[in-house]
Amino acid sequence: MEQYWHWFCSNLNGEFRLSRLLLQKYYTPQAVFEADIKGLVRPYPQYEEKLTKLDRSRKGWEFEKETEKMRRKKVRFISCEHPEFPRRLKEIPDSPKGLFVRGNLPDDDSPSIALVGARKCSIYGRNVALWFGKSLAENGVQIISGMARGIDGYSHRGALQGEGRTFAVLAGGVDVCYPIENRDIFEKLEERGGILSESPPGVKPLRHLFPLRNRIISGLADSVLIIEAKEKSGSLITADLALEQGRDVYAVPGRLGDELSVGCHNLIRQGAGLAASPEILLEDLHFLPGITNKNKGKNKIALERSENLVYSCLGLQAKELGEISCETGLSSIEVLSILAKMELKGYAKEVCKNYYIVCAPHN
Amino acid sequence: MFSKVQSAALKGMDAYLVRVEADISDGMPQLLMVGYLSSEVREAGDRVRTALRNTGILLPPKRMTVNLAPASIRKAGSRFDLPVAAAILASLGEIPGEHLKDVMLAGELSLSGQVLGIPGTLALVEAARDNGLKRCIVPKENAQEGAVIEEIEVVGISSLRELIELLRHPERARVEKIDTRKLLAYGEVVQKEDFSQINGQAAVKRAVEVAAAGMHNLLLIGPPGSGKTMIARRIPGILPPLSLEESLEITKVYSIAGLLPKDTPLMTRRPFRAPHHTVTPEALAGGGRSPSPGEVSLSSRGVLFLDELPEFRRSALEILRQPLEERKVCISRAVGTYLFPADFMLVAAMNPCACGYYPDRSLCQCAEREIANYLGKISQPLLDRIDICIQAPRLSYEELTENHKNESSAQIRERVEAAQKIQKNRYEKLPIHFNTHLDAKGVERYCSLGEEEKELLHTAFTKLNLSARAYHKIIKVARTIADLDQEKTIQSRHILEAICYRTPDRNYWTQRG
Repeated sequence: MEQYWHWFCSNLNGEFRLSRLLLQKYYTPQAVFEADIKGLVRPYPQYEEKLTKLDRSRKGWEFEKETEKMRRKKVRFISCEHPEFPRRLKEIPDSPKGLFVRGNLPDDDSPSIALVGARKCSIYGRNVALWFGKSLAENGVQIISGMARGIDGYSHRGALQGEGRTFAVLAGGVDVCYPIENRDIFEKLEERGGILSESPPGVKPLRHLFPLRNRIISGLADSVLIIEAKEKSGSLITADLALEQGRDVYAVPGRLGDELSVGCHNLIRQGAGLAASPEILLEDLHFLPGITNKNKGKNKIALERSENLVYSCLGLQAKELGEISCETGLSSIEVLSILAKMELKGYAKEVCKNYYIVCAPHN
Repeated sequence: MFSKVQSAALKGMDAYLVRVEADISDGMPQLLMVGYLSSEVREAGDRVRTALRNTGILLPPKRMTVNLAPASIRKAGSRFDLPVAAAILASLGEIPGEHLKDVMLAGELSLSGQVLGIPGTLALVEAARDNGLKRCIVPKENAQEGAVIEEIEVVGISSLRELIELLRHPERARVEKIDTRKLLAYGEVVQKEDFSQINGQAAVKRAVEVAAAGMHNLLLIGPPGSGKTMIARRIPGILPPLSLEESLEITKVYSIAGLLPKDTPLMTRRPFRAPHHTVTPEALAGGGRSPSPGEVSLSSRGVLFLDELPEFRRSALEILRQPLEERKVCISRAVGTYLFPADFMLVAAMNPCACGYYPDRSLCQCAEREIANYLGKISQPLLDRIDICIQAPRLSYEELTENHKNESSAQIRERVEAAQKIQKNRYEKLPIHFNTHLDAKGVERYCSLGEEEKELLHTAFTKLNLSARAYHKIIKVARTIADLDQEKTIQSRHILEAICYRTPDRNYWTQRG
């Protein structure tokens, strides 16, 4: 049966209605494979083109060869009837009929959280994604994301830093690395988690596949965390899907006035959880391993007075040298050397020329 | 009758003497010019003949031959009109030939007999003096410029008639006089652009001061309108005043390039050159068939400002590598090699991304990849030669309008001068003057560090993932900061400050995690 599902999913990728129709009529993919598909053209003329294509695909399909092809590409196919198929995905509406997988599938018994957000993120968003990704992964949470530019990529990177497991759901085939600048993640994911997709290998990440991909991201997770989203953002679609699927939605608050905060703030207003720290998420998951809150109190580090002044003025939002000097009342030369000292001690970080953030929360 | 006159031609920065010979003999009436001439020199014959006629001297219908010796070197330029005219006049017997002895002539003629200005007078007069000549006759408008050279008489003339008059009665000449010291001092007083006009930007001002003190190359990063250009323009004003030699060198370059302003015989202020980002490599480094100085030489002893650094052509930026390293430009041609000075301080400015507003995400719409690509346009070897990098933030309204008492350029310059003096003493026996020019060996020798400082640098090296070059740059900058502080040894605070000025490497903008 797995083989028939493989044929079915490979050729009906992204065709929701048609695949539902075929399964309603014939019940199993094997029956579809053996049925007279051409006969359906008359009652359903709108599918004529697709049905003809599907009909033709049966002729060239050799089960042995296709399995061998997959083995060579190190891709596995898992149908919805396979025992390994993620339990969480079975529950969602329009559940995928099968998944192509490189590496592993998420563990059904471990908690998993999806981290999604803006592609063009700010430095703040980048650091929050890294922090949450790392800290959640360290506590055994599986991080699900889409390996897109911006927040998605940094969530994966954070999880990899935290030595945790992380899974990317792609819109295209699992052998197509998109975007190319996330190659570093792509290469590590096979061992440190997995790459999943509904599309068969070789498929390019086409635009219409992304919303479909989003429902799998939220579907695989217990809760979904949105980090930075503009008022109209693709991440909000994921949030909507998550609500439909009965997942908890969280949002990271941002600074008022920033465009990238608007989407998250709207979500919070509508009742999304306020993700002030990774611990809050862990608590809500009823998952409280021995959290190590070593650096929770930021000012507990032994610093000199003027250093403390500078340190207390740093935050997750990148601050410019002049601002720091203005807020602390110290001269820019003093601030410069204090910042350099703190950078060397690992308390501060220069994220962009002369822009600094605090480093301790996710150390 | 045979006669000869001395003139001179330019080769790169220097001039060499050219002997102009004329001979009039019987034969087909014509004026023949020989001696490996370019076409503008060949045309001198027609100009001279017409100019002489319009001055009232008719050439006899005889065969006249003019030769420019040494005949093996190609001669170009319009400065040979005057010596050719003088040689012909002498062979005609209009002027006594013995009055042309030990006199160098150079100038262009118009058809009416007017004498027009020429580029490179300073170098020509210098060559004449070095060859033991006594007097130079140059166009009136170049006379002041030539008079800067001491131990030789310079006389300016404005027409062919004056030339004849002068050569008939050389004792009546009005020798040009100029007081270079007074000119230099006067140039100091006139400073329109001053640092006191800049509000805020304390960190940038400090970085600029450090850069000026050690002649470190500087990169300013900041959004549009943050005052990068304004600050850069004021950097020459905080460098020490020019010495006479420096001033002469700058004047010579400008004179050869034909860029010396009419009423300025001597460049008394440090140059500031800001070529547009569409500049060609040749315009930047110098070039042409007989090479003339480019922007790097025109900004020698001053500041070369490259605004919008990533927009410059890659080939143009790459050509900066040699001058930055050797402080001179070497242009090779089949006929020889031309050397021009290029001892400039490079000040570059750029936006953090194509739109200019990163990391302010409410304004910047650039993808991280685009931002990385934007910085990636500048090659690493060029970034390696920039010691100090600082960010110029956007000013708030309060900072912009506040009536602060800002430090004036003169105050800053005092400190810069003091720091440069320390360096000059320290490197007395070396061919360098400034910290930025120290090599790895020099860093080891002249920038000794205490235990604590070594420890600090060690942490920095590992923690910040520095390259060997970046490490040396930090020490050199720290040395300059210590010099500004009048400290003999480099201390931790100097190193810490220098660390903050380090130049980002290519992956810096979008570091991964």
